[in-house]
Amino acid sequence: MKLLRVKAITKKELIQIWRDPLSLAMALLMPVILLFIYGYAITFDIDNISTVVYDMDKSSLSREFVNQFHESGYFTVRSYVEGYTAIDPYLESGEARVALVIPGDFSERIRKNENAPVEVIIDGGDSNTATIAQGYTTAIAETFSHRIRGKTLTPLVSSRSRVWYNTELKSRNFIIPGLIAIIMSVIIALLSALTIAREWDRGTMEQLIATPVKAPELILGKLIPYFLIGFADTILSIIISTLLFDVPLRGSITLLLVLSGIFLFGGLSFGILVSIAGRTQLVASQAALITSFLPAFMLSGFIFSISNMPKPLQIVTYFMPARYFVSILKGIFLKGSSLKVLWLEATLLSLFAILVFILANRKFRKRVE
Amino acid sequence: MTGMGQDSVAVAVKDLRRLFGDFVAVDSINLTVPKGEIFGFLGPNGAGKSTTIRMLCGLLAPSGGNGTVGGFDINRESEAIKGIIGYMSQKFSLYDELTVEENINFFGGVYNVPKEKKGARKQWVLDMAGLAEEKKTLTRTLATGFKQRLALGCAILHEPSIIFLDEPTSGVDPISRRNFWRLIGEMSLAGTTVFVTTHYMDEADYCDRLALIYRGKIIAEGTPTDLRKRYMTRHVLEVEVDRVVEAMDILTQKNIDAAIFGSGLHVIVDDVQTGKERILNAFEESGIAVRGLEKIVPTLEDVFVTLIEVS
Amino acid sequence: MFERIKNLVIKEFISYFREKRTIFFLVATPLIQIIIFGYVATMDVNNVSTALYDLDRSSESRELARRLESSGYFTIERRPTSPREMGEMIDKGEVLCALQINRGFGKDLQKGIPTEIQVIVDGTDSNTALIAMSYVNTIIAKYSMDMMAPSITAHLWRLDLRTRVWYNPDLRSRNYMVPGVIALIVMLTCLLLTSMSIVREREIGTMEQLMVTPIKPVELILGKTIPAAIVGYFDMALVTAFGVFWFEVPINGALLLLVLCTGAYLLSVLGIGLFISTISRTQQQAMTATFFFFQPAILLSGFATPIETMPEIFQYMTYISPLRYFLVIVRGIFLKGVGIEILWPEIMALVILGTIIIAASAFRFRKRLA
Repeated sequence: MKLLRVKAITKKELIQIWRDPLSLAMALLMPVILLFIYGYAITFDIDNISTVVYDMDKSSLSREFVNQFHESGYFTVRSYVEGYTAIDPYLESGEARVALVIPGDFSERIRKNENAPVEVIIDGGDSNTATIAQGYTTAIAETFSHRIRGKTLTPLVSSRSRVWYNTELKSRNFIIPGLIAIIMSVIIALLSALTIAREWDRGTMEQLIATPVKAPELILGKLIPYFLIGFADTILSIIISTLLFDVPLRGSITLLLVLSGIFLFGGLSFGILVSIAGRTQLVASQAALITSFLPAFMLSGFIFSISNMPKPLQIVTYFMPARYFVSILKGIFLKGSSLKVLWLEATLLSLFAILVFILANRKFRKRVE
Repeated sequence: MTGMGQDSVAVAVKDLRRLFGDFVAVDSINLTVPKGEIFGFLGPNGAGKSTTIRMLCGLLAPSGGNGTVGGFDINRESEAIKGIIGYMSQKFSLYDELTVEENINFFGGVYNVPKEKKGARKQWVLDMAGLAEEKKTLTRTLATGFKQRLALGCAILHEPSIIFLDEPTSGVDPISRRNFWRLIGEMSLAGTTVFVTTHYMDEADYCDRLALIYRGKIIAEGTPTDLRKRYMTRHVLEVEVDRVVEAMDILTQKNIDAAIFGSGLHVIVDDVQTGKERILNAFEESGIAVRGLEKIVPTLEDVFVTLIEVS
Repeated sequence: MFERIKNLVIKEFISYFREKRTIFFLVATPLIQIIIFGYVATMDVNNVSTALYDLDRSSESRELARRLESSGYFTIERRPTSPREMGEMIDKGEVLCALQINRGFGKDLQKGIPTEIQVIVDGTDSNTALIAMSYVNTIIAKYSMDMMAPSITAHLWRLDLRTRVWYNPDLRSRNYMVPGVIALIVMLTCLLLTSMSIVREREIGTMEQLMVTPIKPVELILGKTIPAAIVGYFDMALVTAFGVFWFEVPINGALLLLVLCTGAYLLSVLGIGLFISTISRTQQQAMTATFFFFQPAILLSGFATPIETMPEIFQYMTYISPLRYFLVIVRGIFLKGVGIEILWPEIMALVILGTIIIAASAFRFRKRLA
């Protein structure tokens, strides 16, 4: 292994990256754009659910009831309709997700101290929103009856709930740390997947392998520049998440950077492995997408929780380095976890990185076929 | 533009220019190529040959000047031009993942070769390229010489009246090159105009007429014989010596024009007798043995070297 | 014109299928994706791993635990013996939810004295936490009502909520996610297929050869679009069949309408892919640009989170994502069984988007090299 040769290759790659400013700009801009979209646009917090109201009673009580829905912030009353058939188009087109039907004897029944039925129609299509909307309606109905009755009924058993870590239950706090893993996976797939395949496509690989350069030198030389870009992206992401989005960083930043470095190294080695195996840029780009980005997105527990997956898929997730990295990120950011808690993830991540690097070296043969 | 009638002219350009940023790739050139001629466009790499040919084929828009190809205007009617020309680039751009036959079928379709002619044309290309037995072979596995002939075949499937060949023989062995030029000759006899660029000076003799381009400008034009006579007023001496490089340095020091040629030197002199003496004197001082010294007919390369030195 | 397009289409198909790896990409990867996505892309919260720290060990506390488990939402996996142990389980992420039932719980209940249960939820995943919390509260509230003497509750009126769930009465999130996943997979495959196609020929040099032929830009764009559209249709049929037969997602609407709308969708998606290919100089750029486009396109489509929950400015940005329109269409046809009278604005949007972008690619793709 000659450092000089590694340096020569690194320098060549850096020049090539520099000469393609468009790709470089996209690589550096992507984390910013993704962070902004996730930070501002993607929220699992459900509010402002569009609602239509069919109020047959039209009394002050029924209006008060509707008002309570509107003022909760969870529902936004879009319009009032007359008749059941008028409800259908709203739900069919998705203009409204919830319809509230108040029967004509609503206020009369309450005055008579009888149970008052209210009909709630929910678009069950998006089951997640529907479940949460259902919970909200129950809570609002409960508060309403308490308020109108004027006296509260102390429940025999009550729950005192406490939320740990992400106390305000902001989905942003949950998404952003994991997002750093996704961003890095994308950058990795983008940058490293074509690096070897491109040289084959253009014929420059023949030239390279005719030199005394050795496989580890070539791979390391190609890895270093992309590592630098990936690391810049990581630091950028951490700065934006903590300063702009106020995501708490409770753990050690040094630990975060070291583990990010290990993940990046393993990911880039994997990208290069794909590039070696793919040979043409077309195949390599597709393979990179399917083997690095999608698993990071789907199988890492980033958004979709692993415990919800069927067992065989849960087993598959154990082979995804992104899985470990996502739990490391969430741990360090939200829980302030130290290496004492994260040692297993850190070990597996390092193991993966070393293994893939060795494999890439093995797989890379200096032969023209 | 010239004295010739429009219908006998295949390619004519006037003041054709092309800039790439500040760089002048082609600098106001004028050319006329009569029909049926093999026109050779010679020059070193980067002289502007490919840029010119690309402008003529409608691949590049000229920065200035005008011209016609097959009677169509290169500025306004580049699409019409594409129907009557064949073009082959130095890369022999075929589809690697297609077989020989599939490539022929594809280009046949793209050029709209009529159905009734298709079979015959395909067979012609296969025979011409010597690939009749290799129809089902993947193009990527072909040797360069075969690729070149297949690429030519695909470019002339539609029997174009003008063929543009951009360095058609680069990377091809001498025998394949000779065969290739025989083919070009046959097509020219059949009435096709061939516009060919090359930097192999020995190929220039196959052409009816030549233009030498250097740094975007045409510096000489004429038949090969013309060029030799017109531009070689000086004489060429072939010198056979032992230590060629050293010998060349000695002559250069003495301000004698010399170039290494094979195992010897070509020396350009104004007068044969005094020239011979100067050479012998120079070598005597340094103790280099001269094994042979005689006047020869200048090659086109000599012409070219001289012309470049002049400009 | 027709002859030239036909030959381009044939050539593209030969190119697709000559490489085994490409066939694998076109057939196997959509299948792998639908299997993984179909199982993974669910927001259902069930089997929440739970720790129960039961200090009371009475029949009442056991009854509450039984109700938690039989709801299907919670699985009691751990029984810590100290508050510290309970805390550690949450710290390490072993459980998402922990309940502490204090000593005397059963006795208090019998005497009718109000009592409390402590619930701790790991808020890291805010969505799961929120839903888990609402489940736990509902179960406890129901238990509380049941334990109260009927004499106390009888004379009080209640609002009687009668909830009806339309379209997806079992609230299976799969019925909602799988159609979206189908749209997503088709977009990914088609984008990758087309975004590299033109720039690849440019890199190899065959584009120059094509450009000196009498081919018109429109013909070339069509020659690239048609084969990709056929592959897109094939993949759409493949993953749809898988969704219907494997994941048992019903199609309530007209199949024919789905086929027609797919055409409009493919038009716009392929158009975007080709546009990327015409503006890129290298395959590396094309790939970067594809990533650059499809990530926001997925996020801002309503695939994972409803568009209404986004800030207004992002809601406007969603209009350029073809996935946004097609999601409304597939979900409408699959779940709601609605017809063209409801879906026409989305179909129109796709057709307009597709036509504009294909025209732009043809325009952008000048036959000159520079």
